[in-house]
Amino acid sequence: MSEETQMDTLAYSSRMLYWAPLGKLLFCVLVLIANLVTESILVPFITLAIGLSMMAYSTNFKIPFFIAIALLEALAILIIGAGLISISGESGNVLWESHFLWINIYMTDDSFNKAWLVLFRGVAGMAVMMGFATSTPIPHLSQALRQVHLPVEIVELIVLIYRYGFLLLERMEIMYHAAACRMGFNGFLRSIKTTASIGVGIFISSTNMADKAQTALSCRNYKGYFPLYRAPAKTGLKWILFSALVCAAMIIFGLETEGIVNMYELFKGVLF
Amino acid sequence: MKTVIIGANGAGKSTMFYHFNGILKPKEGTVYYDGKPLEYTRDALSDLRNKVSIVVQNPDEQIFSSTVEEDVAFGPLNMSIERDEVERRIVTSLEKVGMLEYRERPTVKLSYGQRKRVALAGALACEPEVLILDEPTAGLDPQMSQEVMELVNELCLAGTTVIISTHDVDLAYTWAEEIHVLRKGKLIYSGSPEPFFANTEEVALSGLVKPHTFSINSTFESLRGRDEAPYPRTNSQLLAKLSTPDAKIGVIRMIPFDKEISEIPQVCGNIGIYGSRTRRAVRESKTRVDYYFNAIEGCCLDAMSGLDSVLVYDIELESLVRDTISVLGKFGKVPEMI
Repeated sequence: MSEETQMDTLAYSSRMLYWAPLGKLLFCVLVLIANLVTESILVPFITLAIGLSMMAYSTNFKIPFFIAIALLEALAILIIGAGLISISGESGNVLWESHFLWINIYMTDDSFNKAWLVLFRGVAGMAVMMGFATSTPIPHLSQALRQVHLPVEIVELIVLIYRYGFLLLERMEIMYHAAACRMGFNGFLRSIKTTASIGVGIFISSTNMADKAQTALSCRNYKGYFPLYRAPAKTGLKWILFSALVCAAMIIFGLETEGIVNMYELFKGVLF
Repeated sequence: MKTVIIGANGAGKSTMFYHFNGILKPKEGTVYYDGKPLEYTRDALSDLRNKVSIVVQNPDEQIFSSTVEEDVAFGPLNMSIERDEVERRIVTSLEKVGMLEYRERPTVKLSYGQRKRVALAGALACEPEVLILDEPTAGLDPQMSQEVMELVNELCLAGTTVIISTHDVDLAYTWAEEIHVLRKGKLIYSGSPEPFFANTEEVALSGLVKPHTFSINSTFESLRGRDEAPYPRTNSQLLAKLSTPDAKIGVIRMIPFDKEISEIPQVCGNIGIYGSRTRRAVRESKTRVDYYFNAIEGCCLDAMSGLDSVLVYDIELESLVRDTISVLGKFGKVPEMI
């Protein structure tokens, strides 16, 4: 099984699999919004706790290696972004300044605090999104999208792309190994050429696959709609109320705790 | 009628199949179903495809859903069948292909052989009148090929018309009552297999070879200066034909399976099992079995070698089993069935 398909497998083994996908989506979106609304640095920690709890309950923190690498990459980007924010100060006390080419660089206490806030928000947001992703396979998400009356054509396209995306990735993996067996990656230029050839091959394969898929779908009486046999639960009022309640509580907590934790004060004497 | 369409790669087998359920419309001529020409309206095609199911060669082209049960339910749900009935069909069809315990598994986690079985279960769940299998054994190991063909036999016995396409001449020769040979999009032969395979030139021009059993029979009878007919299609039939009148023939102890599998007598000789219910029971009880697949042939070969054997089979397959063994009488002695 390719690593790309492991996320899907994980979602199907989740304890939260048959929870209302739209309810889960609503909950996650509202938590993410609450995560962004206030300036309190404590709110991202609550968001992180929610995300980690979801991941723990859903799949005991099981994350496919491929996804873990992607998360680490996202974390690295967040850290770089937070670093850039920290040296883009415009107000507050200047903690450190420098010049790079024609650019003046200032790290202020405001920008320092902002950078930490952004980093925490980002990490917390990732945890919540992972909690959702590890518990909701795409067919369930598509069911949720149908419930919010997204055009059926778009929903069906999502399902088809999802299904055939994996097959194309598997084929690409086979082509990659076949090319490697024939020394297709010896040298930088040859690697680029081989990668381009694989890309072309995959594109042609995708058209062939689409053609065959259309035939196979017709053979099974496809009527423009992928029916779900075991549909997840529908979103009820309790989901809406619960999500709204959590969101409101987080916002109130955030408003009450704004400025309580100051990262500059915490690091004062250590870094500055 | 067990019908096989044979032809080399590119002969047009799959293209012809897609005419059978209206995916393709013929440029010339007319396709008939149940004596009536096909109509190509949306409703008529939908109705036709409920009756004529195709299992394509590559299961990845046919499996769309994320889990096994969702995929098996795909066809029945498209037919707007009641949920209880869909559930019954899922269970029945997955049981038949031996995949019931995998019903909640993601399809991406299955092996190729398992995906092939799920694809077959998806077609069976539609309970078609005509089941078309495009290269059903391609890519399967020999045991799984045997299992698929035994399942196909059960379907035939249950009244489903099965049409198979293959370029495996041994499979076609052993199984088919009627073959249709395609060459470069043209039908060049229709009828029983023997006259076609006797025509060396036509076989070669069609990009095929003669079946193994057919060739051995021809060679032996040519050496013995005797007529090739009757033509044996299996090794046991060939042995029956070649055995001497005073040869000792073993006994096949017949046990129809309608009770606990633990009651199989642990007698001397090999034990063979036949039928999906028996196979499942044996799997669960972990009883010793020597011929897990192709058991009728295994027991017949034992009998031809003078050995006794036990054959346990689904009770509803009794006539099929007895008829298959009795065919040996056309070639020589029939083993005693007790």
